[in-house]
Amino acid sequence: MKRLIPLIIILIAIFGLAYYIAPKLPQQTELRPLGEFYLENSYFGDYSAKSPEVVTAILWDYRGVDTLFETSVFFLAIIGSLTLFRLNKKQEKEAKQKLEEFSGGLTLVIKDVTKVIVAMILAVSASIALHGHLTPGGGFQGGSALAVAPLLIIAAYSKYALEENGLDKTRALILRSIGLLGIVLVALVPLLSGGFIMQNQPIFPAEINGQLIGGSLIYYNFFEFLAVGAGFTAVFLLLAIPEKVFKKILGVRQ
Amino acid sequence: MSEILFYLGAIMIIIGGICDLFGALGLLKFPNFYIRLHAATVGTIGGAVVPLFGVGFLALGADFLPHKYAIAGASFVTGIIVLLAAPAGAHALAYAAHKAKLVKWEPKVDHLAEVRRND
Repeated sequence: MKRLIPLIIILIAIFGLAYYIAPKLPQQTELRPLGEFYLENSYFGDYSAKSPEVVTAILWDYRGVDTLFETSVFFLAIIGSLTLFRLNKKQEKEAKQKLEEFSGGLTLVIKDVTKVIVAMILAVSASIALHGHLTPGGGFQGGSALAVAPLLIIAAYSKYALEENGLDKTRALILRSIGLLGIVLVALVPLLSGGFIMQNQPIFPAEINGQLIGGSLIYYNFFEFLAVGAGFTAVFLLLAIPEKVFKKILGVRQ
Repeated sequence: MSEILFYLGAIMIIIGGICDLFGALGLLKFPNFYIRLHAATVGTIGGAVVPLFGVGFLALGADFLPHKYAIAGASFVTGIIVLLAAPAGAHALAYAAHKAKLVKWEPKVDHLAEVRRND
């Protein structure tokens, strides 16, 4: 009973706030000047991205350098974990070799469901990333969703299935570098034609063949998608090395 | 038509809430890992998939909503993914727990006995 008293007080407070105080709060009826400026220059204006998802436009346009450095922080985190797990060529080969007692993943049910779900996750993540200028979402979220697919494959089939089909750590790192390079190149392109760094319009067209692509947003989103997905995949591949193998490589006595 | 969709969606969301409640109660009260896993799956299928479909129907029935097809489509796709993933996940958990002999139990029937013996 004593425990219930705080619960009841909290419930009464929440319902009181909801019923009596919340409707009396003053409503925002006019657009603030800053919001008006952002809307004018990211959706309505002539030199805007014309993206209905204004948040993405602001993130990659007005706060573009900030977002670029956020991406760099993510890359530093990936590089840090790769450094922790660094192996030389011989050790890497050893990590790729299958253990003898390895029996080939989980049961048939899980494997078949994983096949279907991986295809669906790839489609959903691509839709999150490539629709980033139209709907909530964007490169980072799409990339995180993409990284779930290799993670599921690692859990159901083992990491050897990924590596035998060509997605090993080196390839993932190359993909991730292509992504970062793409972001930097897209950021630098406006400099060549007399604009500023990370400027959106009018260098990049807002529409191609009547399809709204939001200026440079779709390129940024795509490259960020690639970079985040591949970076996470590289770390997951390293984390999936069996503990026994890694201890042997490190020379830890059992 | 939109009213039917509205009531269908609302009923499915209420069913979802009830299933979540029962799932939580089951997680607290059931005696061992496997039966608790059953309660957790009731929570995910009944408490996440059904209300997601309900939200999809609600969105389809709402005339005032902008982008209602996008919302409905996203809910249906998410619901189908969870519908596929939750049973497979529960199966994987139960299989792994059985194979690793982590859970103490007294079974009446053990159909997976050969998995343990093969280890």
